[in-house]
Amino acid sequence: MAAVFVLLAATLLYQLASHPDSLTLSLGPRFARTLYWTTVQATISTALSILVGTLLAWALSYRTRFAGRGVYIALLSSAMVLPTLVIALGIVTVLGRSGWINEALQWLEFSPFEPFIFGLSGIVLAHVYFNASYVARTLLGRFESIPVEQRKLTRSLGLNAWQRFKMIELPSVSGTLPGVSITIFLLCFTSFSIVLMLGGSPKYNTLEVSIYEAIKLDFDLGRALGLALTQLSICAVLIILASRLRKDNRLISAPTANRYQLKDPVMLTGIQYIVIVLFGLIFLLPLTAVVIDGMSASFIKLAGDKNFLLALSTSLVIALLSTVLVLFSSVLIAIAYATLATQQRLANNRISQPLLKLLRFSSTLYLAVPSLVLGLGFFLLARGVGGAQILWAVIALLTSNVLMVLPFAIAALAPAMVKCANRYDKLAFSLGLKRWNRWRLIESSLVKPELIYIASLAFCLSLGDLGVIALFGNQDFITLPWLLFQKMGSYRTDEAAGIALIMLAITLAVFLLLPRLFAGKLIKTEKAHHAKA
Amino acid sequence: MLRLENVRFRYSGSDTTYDFSMQVAAGEITCISGRSGSGKSTLLDLIAGFLKPVDGSLTWRDINFTQLPPDKRPVTTVFQQHNLFEHRDAIDNVVVGINPKIPKKGRDAELAESVLASVGLQDFIHTRVNLLSGGQQQRVAIARAILRDSGVILLDEPFSALDQQTRADMLHLVRTLATEKARAVIMVTHDLRDCEAIADSHYEIEHGQLHKRVV
Repeated sequence: MAAVFVLLAATLLYQLASHPDSLTLSLGPRFARTLYWTTVQATISTALSILVGTLLAWALSYRTRFAGRGVYIALLSSAMVLPTLVIALGIVTVLGRSGWINEALQWLEFSPFEPFIFGLSGIVLAHVYFNASYVARTLLGRFESIPVEQRKLTRSLGLNAWQRFKMIELPSVSGTLPGVSITIFLLCFTSFSIVLMLGGSPKYNTLEVSIYEAIKLDFDLGRALGLALTQLSICAVLIILASRLRKDNRLISAPTANRYQLKDPVMLTGIQYIVIVLFGLIFLLPLTAVVIDGMSASFIKLAGDKNFLLALSTSLVIALLSTVLVLFSSVLIAIAYATLATQQRLANNRISQPLLKLLRFSSTLYLAVPSLVLGLGFFLLARGVGGAQILWAVIALLTSNVLMVLPFAIAALAPAMVKCANRYDKLAFSLGLKRWNRWRLIESSLVKPELIYIASLAFCLSLGDLGVIALFGNQDFITLPWLLFQKMGSYRTDEAAGIALIMLAITLAVFLLLPRLFAGKLIKTEKAHHAKA
Repeated sequence: MLRLENVRFRYSGSDTTYDFSMQVAAGEITCISGRSGSGKSTLLDLIAGFLKPVDGSLTWRDINFTQLPPDKRPVTTVFQQHNLFEHRDAIDNVVVGINPKIPKKGRDAELAESVLASVGLQDFIHTRVNLLSGGQQQRVAIARAILRDSGVILLDEPFSALDQQTRADMLHLVRTLATEKARAVIMVTHDLRDCEAIADSHYEIEHGQLHKRVV
């Protein structure tokens, strides 16, 4: 990964040297405006996402028993893999000029509202949709890990909801919030497909969209280069800041069983349910819109469309290849991570700590190298080195997908591998188990749930991403998100709705059902073992 | 006198029905023992108000508190762990027991300081509690229990993680608290030596019921 990063950075710098005026040109008033709006939308989106996500996680941590809670939380988890274009389409269907809400208002004989989904408010709304769910899912785990004794203690001391929040809930997430905030800021700062679709005017372009326009519309490589390097520098600084802000949290124990749903005043309980229901509605409406619109699409017509079949097969193959590559690289990195972090191995070695830091940093590289910048690097490499365009496109897409998933994959796998090492290292060393046998006999079965999660995450994110493909997509190389974007651009709404539904169905099926299917199989195997014993 | 009269409880989906009856006089220490899962924590949760009995009554000095919420009961609990807010200093953790606004000055703060001094922590009043030893942390929790002035103190295996000497010191502190402040203390423990050391009476939980044992 570091090699890829160095290669791309070298390419960009080399090209910059060949276009010495590009940076000066790109740093004009137009650039300042782009940077200003990118920062403004990312700041507002981050603040609102944190606020809404924290409120939702807080409400869910108190309401531990209601029908459908499991499904609700599973859907929140799936928000991070839902294809952004599909959700943007759903938001337009609900809130557009002739969207559901306006139709309902007209039906009720109220005057329809002016649509606000194109421009800053639309961008912020879509960002909050995705990121508040991510914040809620992350913080809910923290809130649920607050020791039950602490919850009992605050009750017996008679602390009110705000005092409880200050005394136990806020401290439990204080180590997580800065890192999560910077991650969300970076995701919004480098947002591409949402801004492309809901931006409404070039005024709200992010640096990422400006890079795309500089390459695809203006074919101004110098400007694209200047923008890319500026974005790269800003993101790298934020990533370093994020890694410094990451803290361990002491006030955390294993998640407690839902044995206690301690009684709260009726008004507080009411507020918590209102938050849960309101967010649930906001979350479900665009999804429902995609399903209902998609149902009316002509799938027979789609099945006969060569472009659709090519896009579907390309997307599935790319997603599968990306999944295999992500699994392979995340396992290797997690093994290295465990080796450097475990007491019995190299944890006390002088060079292990800097190496561990480097490993942590490299695993968050994607956030510093957004897909369009990565795509630009490959685009320039392809021009410089030559060779078949389609080959470069595949390499660019796979690299982008792997780098996109790795931060999340390593965040899930590395702690599990460290835990495994702490538990079985002494035994493995005493039995003389070498690397392959150790993986085969111990680690592979213990980290299976994490591997299944990573596989489904990699598949879904790779399937739905509209990043690099926006630069490389053409008649011969086309994926589902790219085809959907083209159909939406040419107002072929019926076909777009059909494609959106198919993407949504594949994503939800893989992300929600696959882990359950494997989990069920694991439980059955364990039961069979027990029965045999 | 704390009285439990046929306090019944059953977890949903469980076959076991708990039925607790006992009494503890002010100034008396009662130990509760029993196997893991026998219902020791359930008993404390019922007295503290974290679980609601389906039947029976709980009274302290002849006043029924069965229907009161946890913070309105004459009860203070000291848990085995997580008794303190780790990001706060010792005095904050004590004063919160009587004033959730955690004043830094005034009568409440002065009271908290004097109670901390009475348990030997006068040099650690403004120390963050996560920097204190296990024994000192439990002293802070007990200081809060003293300050709260609740008639009933519940100790849920509070000293099991402490070394022998610190444990003996803490048991002595509990004895003093019960006798001098006339508190009814119920202490759950796995270690019968603790019972022998300070208990006035001893109950064992078996099949969801309390059985009196000879101390």
